[in-house]
Amino acid sequence: MSSAKMSSSSAGPTRSKLSLKGSSKLVAEFFEYSIHSILFQRGIYPPEDFQVVKKYGLNMLVSVDEDVKTYIRRIMSQLNKWVVGSKISKLVVAIVSLDSAEVVERWQFDIEVFSKASGSKKSSSSSADKENAAPKASKQTSDDAHGDKTIDEIQQEIQAIIRQITASVTFLPVLEGRHTFNVLVYADGDTQAPSEWIDSDPKEIQNAEQVKLRSFSTASHKVDTMVAYRLGTAE
Amino acid sequence: MSFSTPVKTRRSAHCTPRQSRLDSSPLTPRNYAALSSSYFGGSRRNSPKTSIHKQIPSPLKLDNYLPDTTLVGTGPSSCANTPKRIAKKQIFRASVQGDRFIPSRSSSSTTMTKLEDDNSSSSSNGSTRSSVSSSATNSYEYQSSVAEACGFALNQRILTFKPEAPQSKKPIDLRSQYNRPLKPAVNAQLRRRLPTNAERILDAPGIRDDYYLNLLDWSCNNQVAIGLDRDLYVWNAESGSVSSLLRTTPDTYISGLKWSGDGAYVAVGLSDGDVQIWDVEEGEKVRSMTGHAARVGVMSWDRHVLSSGCRDGSIWNHDVRIAQHKVSEFVNHEAEVCGLQWRSDGSQLASGGNDNLVNIWDARSSTPKFTKTNHKAAVKALAWCPWQLNLLATGGGTFDKQIHFWNGTTGARVNSIDAGSQVTSLQWSTTYKEIVSSHGYPDNNLSIWSYPTLVKNGEIQGHDTRILGSALSPDGSTLATVASDENLKFWKVFEQIGKKVSSAVMGGSLASGGKDIAKVMMIR
Repeated sequence: MSSAKMSSSSAGPTRSKLSLKGSSKLVAEFFEYSIHSILFQRGIYPPEDFQVVKKYGLNMLVSVDEDVKTYIRRIMSQLNKWVVGSKISKLVVAIVSLDSAEVVERWQFDIEVFSKASGSKKSSSSSADKENAAPKASKQTSDDAHGDKTIDEIQQEIQAIIRQITASVTFLPVLEGRHTFNVLVYADGDTQAPSEWIDSDPKEIQNAEQVKLRSFSTASHKVDTMVAYRLGTAE
Repeated sequence: MSFSTPVKTRRSAHCTPRQSRLDSSPLTPRNYAALSSSYFGGSRRNSPKTSIHKQIPSPLKLDNYLPDTTLVGTGPSSCANTPKRIAKKQIFRASVQGDRFIPSRSSSSTTMTKLEDDNSSSSSNGSTRSSVSSSATNSYEYQSSVAEACGFALNQRILTFKPEAPQSKKPIDLRSQYNRPLKPAVNAQLRRRLPTNAERILDAPGIRDDYYLNLLDWSCNNQVAIGLDRDLYVWNAESGSVSSLLRTTPDTYISGLKWSGDGAYVAVGLSDGDVQIWDVEEGEKVRSMTGHAARVGVMSWDRHVLSSGCRDGSIWNHDVRIAQHKVSEFVNHEAEVCGLQWRSDGSQLASGGNDNLVNIWDARSSTPKFTKTNHKAAVKALAWCPWQLNLLATGGGTFDKQIHFWNGTTGARVNSIDAGSQVTSLQWSTTYKEIVSSHGYPDNNLSIWSYPTLVKNGEIQGHDTRILGSALSPDGSTLATVASDENLKFWKVFEQIGKKVSSAVMGGSLASGGKDIAKVMMIR
């Protein structure tokens, strides 16, 4: 542990750490690329609509279709605010069959905000729920483990997740028919949401198979990734 | 109703009196009843109107009674909106002796009071409130534990982005995607490749650096004619041989030249106003048509009619077959005519002048059908589209830099491009749906545009100084450009992919062979 700290500080002490704001930006950016990756990998839109961009040291595929781009941009503009304000605890990309309107796949990103960084925000935002918030404080002890990561290390963690999303097509069932997607967030109870965002059920999948993917963490956030999917009809 | 929509119900809690919630809960399946009561209790526990849920003696006890209620868990969703309706329902339930009404069984006395309250005044249900406040903390703990068990936290909203995601426009077959390279090879083949180097460079010494002249043309017999001051040279693109066709008298110079449609003759406009027609094979002048008062910078053939544009703004139409060659005159320009182009079917003539006008003439009328004033500089570049006969492209000079596209039938402007540089010539491709423009100040480049998308497919920085003119080879693959840097360069801009046309133009075997084709015209 101490040796790791040494190396990171010698590598470049000025840029190695992320503030809460920078961390939020990183998390939001990760979400955006993940959504694009999922849309591509799961064939929600035709592959021709996607273009390769270099990101996280990978060839990321990003939709260039104007409608899709605008749609995701609208989501991201609000998501950014929520992530920066530590308002949301989960982001869910639900893949819904157009024919049956059933949720067939559910990508879930759990966001954990380390209370050290956001203590003031938390206490003001969820005053009614202090009891529930209390257990989170216990995780403060683990903060030190994440505190000293360099941007490069975080990037590598993100890279690993994206690779896993890409690799997930090997075990996820082939999506038959046409599908669309919904984006859900789990927000604090007092969150102000623009009219575009409405209350929803969690769009859980009954009897889902769940696969937990890797996670990444910054000084102020930890993001867990999980995919749940319905098993094929072969029963 | 499944318990998958708790939030919706909770929202309605704001508009309904508390009791109605409890009363209606028996209609829902049992675990939801417990859940919803605890859930709503939790969210409301700070409000002054709290806690009807406290009237439930204990949720556990409530569970004891549930076997009865399972019989009737199928009722319609019953989140009543008005107190009146609630009251009615309650009366109704009371009359059927409440086999679906849990609270009345667990503590019938309080429910009865409640019922009376509702009947007397719908808003007075606060009266029962004070009576129950004992087990508040217990129930809260209970609520949170239930909530946790059911997988959602109190004080949390699940929000979804309401607008529909855009639909994919094409059907998707994922299977084809799994083994797909990131960059499909098909695209690389389909992409237009543009040459960065000229196919061939010839010297053009002494070419007059004058925007208003037209000194380069390529015949259908694959011969390139170029006017270099007083000399006219013909370069045979098949054999590569050069011959000097004519040299003018010292007091004049060549200001314009144009191959006839059959490629046998070249019309030469001179700075003193003469128009001469030369037989290229014989190397001799066929006739001279005098009359213009000033230099003739531009000409265009329509079969046997040669139209010539003069510096004084007049356009004359010469029938080259007859002695009285001047058959009509188009007068509308007030300055030098520098662009002139017959439509391929000969029904319309487009002319551009130094007065910034574009005129579209009907062949049968001596007044312009349309006069366009959109350009803000001289219009030299004119081109009729080969695949859409009535489409005309025009390009403006240094102060304009625009390429406009016109419908020759209606006169409407259908498209425009800001080319960013003086437009000196325009050539439509016969291979692609593209147009190439040559430019002067400031970029001196060639630009290739898709039509009608107007996407710039590429540009070629071919010359050091401004490109004066261009000409397309008869097979449509090669563009010749001449610039004031005294270079004549050849570019394979429209080469067809997959076809071996490389040898066809330069030093190769273009089918025509020129000499075998009989001259189509009789020129006196």
